[in-house]
Amino acid sequence: MLWSVILLVFFSPILSAQEEASPEEAEPVDTYLSLLATYTSNDTVVLLASLYIRHGRERIDLQNAQIIFTASGEKDQVEVGRAFTDSTGSAHIKVPLLNPALPADAEGMITYTADFEGTDNYLSASEQFISKPARLEVSFYEEDSVRYIRVNAQQHAGDAMEPITGETVFLFVPTLFRPLPIGEVSLDEEGTGSIEFPMSLIGDSLGNITIVARIDENDRFGYVRGENTCSWAIPKHLFSQDKPTRELWTPVAPIWMIITLLTLLAGVWGHYIYAVTELIKIKKSASKEKSEEKDWSNYS
Amino acid sequence: MANGKDQALLTEFAPQIERTSLIQFIWIFFLVGVIAAGFYALYVQISEGHIVTGMRDNVVWGIYIVNFIFFMGVSYAGALISGTLHLFRAEWRKPIIRMAEFITIIALLIGPCYILLCIGRLDRLPYLVLFGRIQSPITWDVIAISTDIFGCLIFLYLAILRDIAAIRDFQGIRLPNWKRKLYRILALGYVGTPEQQKRLHRATDVMAAMVIAIAVIVYSVLAWIFSVTLQPGWHSTIFGPYFVIAAVFSGCGVMIVVMWLFRKIYRLEQFITRKHFVNVGILMLILAALFGYFTFSDYLTKWYGSERNDELLINLLFDEYYWLFILSNYVGVLMPMIVVGFPKLRTINNITISAIVVILALWVNRYLIVVPTLESPYLPIQDSRPAWLFYNSTWVEWVLTAAGVAFFALAMTVGSKFIPIINVSEMQDAPPPEDEEILV
Repeated sequence: MLWSVILLVFFSPILSAQEEASPEEAEPVDTYLSLLATYTSNDTVVLLASLYIRHGRERIDLQNAQIIFTASGEKDQVEVGRAFTDSTGSAHIKVPLLNPALPADAEGMITYTADFEGTDNYLSASEQFISKPARLEVSFYEEDSVRYIRVNAQQHAGDAMEPITGETVFLFVPTLFRPLPIGEVSLDEEGTGSIEFPMSLIGDSLGNITIVARIDENDRFGYVRGENTCSWAIPKHLFSQDKPTRELWTPVAPIWMIITLLTLLAGVWGHYIYAVTELIKIKKSASKEKSEEKDWSNYS
Repeated sequence: MANGKDQALLTEFAPQIERTSLIQFIWIFFLVGVIAAGFYALYVQISEGHIVTGMRDNVVWGIYIVNFIFFMGVSYAGALISGTLHLFRAEWRKPIIRMAEFITIIALLIGPCYILLCIGRLDRLPYLVLFGRIQSPITWDVIAISTDIFGCLIFLYLAILRDIAAIRDFQGIRLPNWKRKLYRILALGYVGTPEQQKRLHRATDVMAAMVIAIAVIVYSVLAWIFSVTLQPGWHSTIFGPYFVIAAVFSGCGVMIVVMWLFRKIYRLEQFITRKHFVNVGILMLILAALFGYFTFSDYLTKWYGSERNDELLINLLFDEYYWLFILSNYVGVLMPMIVVGFPKLRTINNITISAIVVILALWVNRYLIVVPTLESPYLPIQDSRPAWLFYNSTWVEWVLTAAGVAFFALAMTVGSKFIPIINVSEMQDAPPPEDEEILV
């Protein structure tokens, strides 16, 4: 009985494997496509598409898939580019907004489409992103010895530009992992907003720093980004310390910590040395006994 | 050196050292096979990277750390049992103290290996010494474990010195020349003169006390690696003593299982009696109560405070990990208390089965401390892949776990082939065992 159970346990995977579908019968897998359009300050739009599939709870990015990007308005549709997805499943292209102008509807909204045509193993997918072209310009000025960051936002209106009013623009400084938020501005009727330049920002060794302005997830404009560099930040080298303080987070430990550790180690290793010394003395006493026995035997 | 009683005992244990039976050879080959599989898994991990494990950006620690904590805990229990019983001169400990000493040092050598398996860039290990910060609990742990290894090695050597000398002198045992030479070198010329005995006893007493203190410090430092972080589930003031209690608890379980196995394999029924199982079992019962108390206190505090992150963790434990939580904190606590608490249930087999349950429960307890806590992070990581939010262990990790257990068993087996598993030199002074009914 026991052996039959053991045999059943060992051989059941082999038996059940025969019931699995052969590769030829596998159905094409559903794919998912996301698309973002970000406008930059030099009148280009960056289209970023991500293609992936789902396997249970897991998301698997698809590499080397061709994505076709198009832009359309009321009547026209033009292909603006193609790109292959990279190892993270992302494909992106940069498209100039002007010369020639991208087709738009009556309100100036452009419909961007990303298409994946599919293969034998993966179903096709398509995603749209609708937004109106806009431009963010960042500039700097000084007034009454106070330094300011000015943001100017404009939207395309035919061949002309009109100010964007009433929207909120967020300001960041790019850092190693995530952008550091430094403030936000509300755009006035001229499409302009200003905040005081934070004087505690640290730049490079010359004090250069890049300020990025962003409109994110806007209903009309989607994602808009502008940036500029100034040299108003604190130069990095001013912060080197000749003598760091003793803290938990500095290269030099607090004195009490060093003393405690050394005391504990000295106490423990002192006992070890005592034990080893006793062992050495045991060996020495054995040698002494042996030589005394030899002397006696020679004497006798 | 070997007197009459020693010789009688050595004659009895000589086959254990002289011969290896076919079954023992098969057992050793099986263990070597498991270890070889572990080396293959290690090769896969090194060549393909840690992507072959379940560790990712969110859950950065998994089974390797659990094994490290588990083996270190077992080692500490061995140190406590051998050190404390040595200092208290408890007569009943003599047949089992050698096993405790072996458990201490073998587990202590295996545990830190899992840290090395967990580290992705071993070439940066020297930086720990070159650029180490005294303020870091990791640095404390490295120093503490290194110190503990030296101390336990010295203690083990002191404990087996008399037996080595006895085997060196015993002519009634057939040994290859290399083995006899090895015993001669290791015996350090010990012949049992009054001066030598005095020195040995003093050194052993000192090291027994130090080993207990060091083991407490080592395991507390290990606990502080977790508790000094702000991570909910780890940031607890009672983690130090909680870990120490859990360590001795799991070590008692391992001690009982090892006693049962050696008793069966080498037919030591007249030396390791029901009394030994009951005594270690009572220690296990007390520790079960303490462990249950600390666990209850820890989780009650978290639950009652109703802090959001603590609530997330507790919901996760009672949702995804419900049965593991029950095994670890209910079954693992109540079973030894019931089995040892009721005299009618106090048989050798029952106590051993409850010890096995305790070992499993405590391993799971360490798993529940490490993994669910990392799955409910203090600062949520942005844009993390959903697949990486939860830990899924892989075959590489399990095979390496099995290899560690196999190495433990192999080292115990090989160790018993060099040194008698019963402390012969101390047994010569032991009073005759009580006329206990042997139940198994």
